Amino acid sequence: MGVSVYIGAESIVSPLGLTAASNTDRVLSGHSGITLQEGRGWKQRDVYAAVVQGMAQEGKFERLLEQSLNAALMQWDASLLSSDDTLLIISSTKGGIADSITDPFHPVVSRLESLFSLRHRPLLISNACVSGVLAVNTAARLLKAGLYKHVVVAGGDVVSDFVLYGFQSLYAVSDAPCRPFDRDRKGVTLGEAGGALVLSAEKSCFAAEPFLYMGGAGANDANHISGPSRTGEGLVRAVSKAIAKAGIDRSEIGFINAHGTGTNFNDEMESIAFGRLGLENVPLNSLKGYWGHTLGAAGVIETAACLQMMRRRSLAASLAYASPGTSVQLNVLTENKTPDTGIFLKTASGFGGGNAALIVKKI
Amino acid sequence: MSRIIHYCRINGDGVVLNGEKLLALESADTGENLLAIYRHIGQDYPKFHKMDLMSKVSFLGVELLKSSCQGLASAPDDAVAMLFANSESSSETDIRFRDSYEVEQLPGPSLFVYTLPNVALGEISIRNKWYGEHMFAVFPNFASAYFADHSALLLADGAEWVIGGWVNVRSGPDALFFVVDKSEEEGNRDGLMNRLEKLYSD
Repeated sequence: MGVSVYIGAESIVSPLGLTAASNTDRVLSGHSGITLQEGRGWKQRDVYAAVVQGMAQEGKFERLLEQSLNAALMQWDASLLSSDDTLLIISSTKGGIADSITDPFHPVVSRLESLFSLRHRPLLISNACVSGVLAVNTAARLLKAGLYKHVVVAGGDVVSDFVLYGFQSLYAVSDAPCRPFDRDRKGVTLGEAGGALVLSAEKSCFAAEPFLYMGGAGANDANHISGPSRTGEGLVRAVSKAIAKAGIDRSEIGFINAHGTGTNFNDEMESIAFGRLGLENVPLNSLKGYWGHTLGAAGVIETAACLQMMRRRSLAASLAYASPGTSVQLNVLTENKTPDTGIFLKTASGFGGGNAALIVKKI
Repeated sequence: MSRIIHYCRINGDGVVLNGEKLLALESADTGENLLAIYRHIGQDYPKFHKMDLMSKVSFLGVELLKSSCQGLASAPDDAVAMLFANSESSSETDIRFRDSYEVEQLPGPSLFVYTLPNVALGEISIRNKWYGEHMFAVFPNFASAYFADHSALLLADGAEWVIGGWVNVRSGPDALFFVVDKSEEEGNRDGLMNRLEKLYSD
């Protein structure tokens, strides 16, 4: 047996709240952070987005990360953050692009490095919408190899003109809040958030009982840079490898938190992949209806929410889902549900053909 | 331990493959220089012409590595992992996309899809039908420790080859691509890092 990797101390900073617990309260009671943003879109069009209010636009990326880290530190032995045994991984697609288009990352990373007295330069992963899940998998790989004892993963992205206009130019922003996996599905709705998770080889450093990270993997679709695969090949491979690494049977997976952006092609691709994997009957949700698509933060905050939902033994309904509408019918949750097992699967897919999956178990 | 078996340097001076100068680059225009490399190595891949500069440099670097590394050219479809990084993310294309809406008043979707640095890895995966692990990271400077640590981890985690890539384009191409595989030979992390630093600074 190698190193056991524990995961916990989750935090979420979003329009729904400033901690993972407050966010999950709101999610489990069916609230969404998505609101109409009047005139925010291209040519002053109204767009739906999940925007953190009361936080200045300038420097928002840094503040989201800082607040997420502070919230995670409340639930962990905070003195370890500045230890030589600890690495910070940051997951983001566009970082502070609204503040500096030529340098959206380095100034923020440097300030966080100094603010939190970090011993190692943080690893900044920018791998589109799989960044967050990839960051967690990378953290686990570093811990299993014994390179660090603790890795803190923080994710953040901001709703900027750049990203809004870009998705609008692709006709990818829906005219109503996203409705993942529905027959009349809509998406994408963009969102902004920060979140953090601690992965550690030491169980005792967490304030609350952590979870066991079982395995994870990534795979490319090798299909199209901005369109999901028709066969779900990359996602099938990522999940298959994650299951193999976790050393479990797929029947032990009691819950899937899917990517579920709400676009026709993405949700269709995921349904095909889960069907090919024999996972179509596993209770599944997308959390995009609550926070929108938060890009580089998505994998982090959604994994954080999974930990919270498992702690409370209540899996959130997939918001705005009503009728099946993918070619492979999935078991999409229409109301909150008690989990059947303590093992969940989290997946992500994104531009550049990326797919990533991770499996976590309640101890 | 892991070792570097092939490498390719592309910068303003030209293209060097495994220590041998393959081509000098003469134009002041990066796009023209990349087209010269594309022609020099006899490529016929129409999608190349649609790519942004970072994807083009990355594509050419990997094609050059394949030309000298037989194993890579015939690798099983999930045996190759890609480990890339740079200091400027996708900002060359980000600036072009911003200009499309701020200056030309028409946001360009064909530019927007390249405003993520990992899209270069997508282009390489599509070209080669590679389904392996891939990661893009952003550092202030050439990150030899990142390449040494994570290439070893990816090799230990199922990959047979790791292609490392450092690729900046904003001030002309500044790229190093290399293939790492497992080795029985004695070696250490510092050795790999020193080798990378030397290959990058040469």
